[in-house]
Amino acid sequence: MRVLLVEDDADMAQTLKSSLTADDHEVDVANDGETGENMALAGGYDVIVLDRMLPKKQGVAIVRDLRGQGVSTPVLILSALHDEDHRVEGLNAGANDYLGKPFSTRELLARVRSLWHGRDRGPQTQLKVGDLEMDLLARTVRRDGKKLDLQPREFRLLEYLMRHSGQTVTRKMLLENVWDYHFDPQTNVIDVHISRLRSKIDRDFGQTLLHTVRGSGYRLEG
Amino acid sequence: MRPRLDSLLRTTTFRLALVQAGVVLSFVVLMLVYVYFATAGALIRDSDELANQEYATLERAYAEGGMRRLNQEVVERSARQGPFLYVLAESDGTVVTGDFQQLPATPGETPERISINFEQVDADGQPVRGRASGRIGRLLGGPILMVARDLADSEVLAARITRVLLTVAIVGVILSVISGLLAANQAARLAEGLSNTAREVMAGDLTRRAPVRGAGDEFDALAEAMNAMLDRLEQLMQTTRTAGDAIAHDLRSPLTRFRQKLEVALEAPPDSVADREALRKALDEADRLLDMFAAVLRLARVEAASNWKFERVDASAILQELYEFYEPAAEEQGRKLTASIQDGLVLKGDHGLFTQAVSNLIENALKYTTEGGNVEVRAVRRPDGRIEIDVLDDGPGVPPAERDRVLERFVRLESHRSSPGVGLGLSLVAAVARLHRGGLHLRDGLDNGGHKGLGAALVLPALAAR
Repeated sequence: MRVLLVEDDADMAQTLKSSLTADDHEVDVANDGETGENMALAGGYDVIVLDRMLPKKQGVAIVRDLRGQGVSTPVLILSALHDEDHRVEGLNAGANDYLGKPFSTRELLARVRSLWHGRDRGPQTQLKVGDLEMDLLARTVRRDGKKLDLQPREFRLLEYLMRHSGQTVTRKMLLENVWDYHFDPQTNVIDVHISRLRSKIDRDFGQTLLHTVRGSGYRLEG
Repeated sequence: MRPRLDSLLRTTTFRLALVQAGVVLSFVVLMLVYVYFATAGALIRDSDELANQEYATLERAYAEGGMRRLNQEVVERSARQGPFLYVLAESDGTVVTGDFQQLPATPGETPERISINFEQVDADGQPVRGRASGRIGRLLGGPILMVARDLADSEVLAARITRVLLTVAIVGVILSVISGLLAANQAARLAEGLSNTAREVMAGDLTRRAPVRGAGDEFDALAEAMNAMLDRLEQLMQTTRTAGDAIAHDLRSPLTRFRQKLEVALEAPPDSVADREALRKALDEADRLLDMFAAVLRLARVEAASNWKFERVDASAILQELYEFYEPAAEEQGRKLTASIQDGLVLKGDHGLFTQAVSNLIENALKYTTEGGNVEVRAVRRPDGRIEIDVLDDGPGVPPAERDRVLERFVRLESHRSSPGVGLGLSLVAAVARLHRGGLHLRDGLDNGGHKGLGAALVLPALAAR
């Protein structure tokens, strides 16, 4: 997919560009806010990755103006300021995701893909991955026709994984989106929740759906 | 250093003293005018009244006995020693008898008031200038009568009164200027004391304090407020210095290791397996450094306590969620995490910070509990209305003497040096508690066969029940 990267630090821009290119994206780089906004307005991008602090025009202002002009391209803001209120400000301005610096390259790649895939799925009532089915209205989960008994939090965890099926989701993404926690637990809490969920949806069935992506996170795939 | 006059003249108190002197002066002038008219003026009016009565008496004598009787009366009366002066004249103005050779004025149709200046010869033959006032008029049939009263006595009295009043006015103004100067001088000296203290503190002596005289006035209040501010400043400086030392120490070690690993990898012959291992370790060190920076920044932000927007926070729900979040991992690691959380605990605060503070306590307890250990989370509304959240463990505990110290930044007990973490977890909880006008207290925790683990009590004010 085509990614617009707006980042003023040349070193950082080069590193991110090569990582994104290696992940099969076509990347254009803008070095300041104004150039970035003009390139975004010209269109043709699938995802915009925007640094928050930029020369000429700040990231948050760019997103606000792009949204004001009807540009709905998914935007990911990168920022060294990632306290709760900064994050909320960025999301309120119209950004789709907010990633605090420092971040791992894998985290960035997972989020860029997730933004692209999640861009225009309307409201759904049914999710399906392989023979795993989720009914969002009845709040039931079946695999191979057999009803599975999930706790509310397990249901939300599985829902998020199913909505992002085929993509890698990181532990941080799960923490933020399933628990709404914005800190890093120092223990392997997420892994234990995943392994409990896995024991419910995978153990008694032949094919494994919930995969561990080493060094990155997890992927649900049929 | 003595305050110089020009700086004194600029002080607020001196300007107030000048205003005060002006008010005193105007008051004295008004009083002077009033007293003058009330005394000297009244004396002259009384004198006029007496002259009018005398005139009326003579008018009656003329009505009863005609010109002869009047002439006789005037001659008799003017011969007497007294304050009255008389002149009787024919209708054409020719003086018949009296104290003057000529009429001092020509009367009109009706009797009128007259004021005259004259010269007399006193008992010693000295000429004396005098002033008199009285009445002059034409009697029925033509003769002119004037009766005036010498004002010498009244004027002497009035002059004396005026002199006394002027003296009082001058003394009053001088006194008010002097008292103003004294007050200005006093205020200037007190202000000078305060600014000297401020200058000395700025020069680097943080132990200096403004003098408090014990007078209990507003200058003492100002000095006390300034001293309280200096106490806080000194404390903050101390904290910053300690934190700075600790940061320097704690950051230098991982940075040194980081550098060393890269250096060793570079100097060794290329070996992809060893190189990758060195890179992985360097990455770990970098992550550790970044975590430390993030923790320091977060703590600084909480402590700056500037613009947090507090909202209604459902503490019971957050605690229950945190319990459910950590319970599986605890069980996996062979620890038993239990919770007893009272329903309906609500506070006013920051959702994210509160969540993080409690998660720090739970992680801390889990980290220092050995396998097979217990961690218990309790939350209740206390009788005093505050919310108390206890996180108790049966780990090794912290000796009572060291409990205050572990709440300081970067402090980890020697026995814990090897475990992960940067020693900021509890500092952050304490800072979050302070931000919410509460506190973090360390106590004995759960009993563990003879010794006590650690109990952390986070006490926060509850939001009044709706």
